[in-house]
Amino acid sequence: MRWKSVLAMAWESMKQRRFRTSLTTLGVVIGITAIIGLASLGEGFRVIIRDEMQQGFELNVLTVMSGGLLTGVPSPFTDDDVGNISQMPGVVIATSIIQKSVGKLYNDGKNSTPLVLLAVNFTEFVQIYPDRLAVEHGIWPESVSNDTSVMGYNVEHLSEDETFANLGDNVTVALSFTSSLRGRYYENRTFNVAGTLGKSGAAGFINFDDALLIPINTARTLYNTTNSDMIFVRLADPSYSDSVAKAIEDRFGGGGEVRVLVPAAFMEQVETILNMVQIFLTAIASIALLVAGLGIMNIMTVSVMERTREIGIMKAIGAKSRTVLTMFLAEAALIGLLGGVIGVPFGYGLAQIMGQFLFRFGAEATPRRSLITGTETHPLTVVTPVLTLQWAVGAIVFAIGVSVIFGWYPARKAAKLDPVEALRYE
Amino acid sequence: MPAILEARDVEKAYRMGEVLVSALRGVTLEIEQGEFVAIFGPSGSGKSTLLHVLGGLDRPDKGSVHIDGVNLSTLSDAKLAEVRLNKIGFVFQFFNLLPRLTALRNVELPLTLADISEEESVRKATEMLELVGLKERVSHRPTELSGGEQQRVAIARALINDPKIVLADEPTGNLDTTTGWEIVRLMKRLNEEKGQTFVVVTHDQGVAETADRMIHLKDGLVHGVKKGSGGMQS
Repeated sequence: MRWKSVLAMAWESMKQRRFRTSLTTLGVVIGITAIIGLASLGEGFRVIIRDEMQQGFELNVLTVMSGGLLTGVPSPFTDDDVGNISQMPGVVIATSIIQKSVGKLYNDGKNSTPLVLLAVNFTEFVQIYPDRLAVEHGIWPESVSNDTSVMGYNVEHLSEDETFANLGDNVTVALSFTSSLRGRYYENRTFNVAGTLGKSGAAGFINFDDALLIPINTARTLYNTTNSDMIFVRLADPSYSDSVAKAIEDRFGGGGEVRVLVPAAFMEQVETILNMVQIFLTAIASIALLVAGLGIMNIMTVSVMERTREIGIMKAIGAKSRTVLTMFLAEAALIGLLGGVIGVPFGYGLAQIMGQFLFRFGAEATPRRSLITGTETHPLTVVTPVLTLQWAVGAIVFAIGVSVIFGWYPARKAAKLDPVEALRYE
Repeated sequence: MPAILEARDVEKAYRMGEVLVSALRGVTLEIEQGEFVAIFGPSGSGKSTLLHVLGGLDRPDKGSVHIDGVNLSTLSDAKLAEVRLNKIGFVFQFFNLLPRLTALRNVELPLTLADISEEESVRKATEMLELVGLKERVSHRPTELSGGEQQRVAIARALINDPKIVLADEPTGNLDTTTGWEIVRLMKRLNEEKGQTFVVVTHDQGVAETADRMIHLKDGLVHGVKKGSGGMQS
């Protein structure tokens, strides 16, 4: 028997029992609504979290630090290392960094407290974070002299209406040194302010807002080295993370002498957790669909009994058992399809409403500092649900699948009826 | 004339509660192509059981049934369904139409099962309804038709796939006398005009008399065969 005829007959029989069909379908609609509702809210959360993570972790940037036997060894990386890493496939640029802790910063009776001194190659460093580093006042120095400096946002802004220094000011900083003779000691050095940064936030573990940036060559002279403490590596795409990290580790012997921070790997872990949460929520919602499946089973069992004689007639005029089975399964599948197609938009609508109401309590809250980015963010007020095509299609297929599975037992019962006895049934 | 249907030593028992009832106790008969045969006997003589076994609706416990040279007992359930679809037409006492389908769709049903295109099955079913005199009733549902009209629809459905043989189980049993005779007349006409083979089970001697041959069944055995009048009393 043709599929078209089977479906047409199934549809006809469903129309005949309109009320009953509607109630059975409603069960599936509720199940799919619950699944799609939670899934699209989950996807909405995922988008928010992913955005925030991407702001916090520059996924394209790897940080190479010393580890293993090299831990504590100052400035282990040579310019050769940097040059070599620059040549690796997928690497856009690699640059040397020297990072030191500093004491207070003085200017004309005022003082400010940077948390970190970053000695960088300004030309290269801006290419590592092209989107993050925005100059608020002055310039990003392309050509530098020994005393050029750039101040982070928090270093410059002492309070809301008080700034620390003007462009061109010479500011004095207490640099910390260690020597075997004198132990740890501070010496003052003076730098000229070429620019200040806008709010840039943190990338990985460095917060640019609390940093004082100076040329790397100056730091090398001051600290008497030709090497660097860290290497920042910008990738063409986060997908190169693993291969480049592996290549860097191999270059240093692969025995844990270096640590490569891979933000993409951390993102993956967060994604895994999000997936698990979403699967868990969807699984709970699926219980509603299973209950709907039981409803289908129940109604179809009744329907098979009522239509026993009809099944006998069909068999007498030449319908095979398989044809009878297919006819009943087609009814179940149509109920699933109908329930799925109605349930998907309902679920999305439900998610919209829940997204509006569930998070409204946060609207009164004051802006907070994001844990990840270190910048001020607005509180979560509204989650915009996201419905992907995969979820929509998957839910409909799931609805059809559940319906067919639960319809199987009654359909099989119908198919196995003995024609003579079925014809005798009153 | 070749035998279109052949039953040999057919035995069939069925269980009613605790008791095993022997419905057929070794029935042998032959139906020739183009014949109009009545199987006649009192109720409980095994007529309906015999008809079910002859039509491949039920399997005999012993013995064999051949239709058009095919031994039914060697066939799988699915193949047996195909034989019912293509070689046999059933007419029942209670008409057995599908209540939610129109007359036309009821007649079309075997064609739908046989994968005939919709266009052709509509054409054939319309023709067939015209042949049984229901041209004006094609889009009526069974509940909107009289008993006689319903039985005509059932006959049209039985004939639609050009079966080798039509098996009718008490076709007049649920109709008043006048309507009953109209149905007999219709079957006789189809037998004469189209050469359609009919086997009619009846307990009505008057109906049986119109057949070419009367097979008298009693207690699950063929009690005797005699020639019928072959024609209609007025």
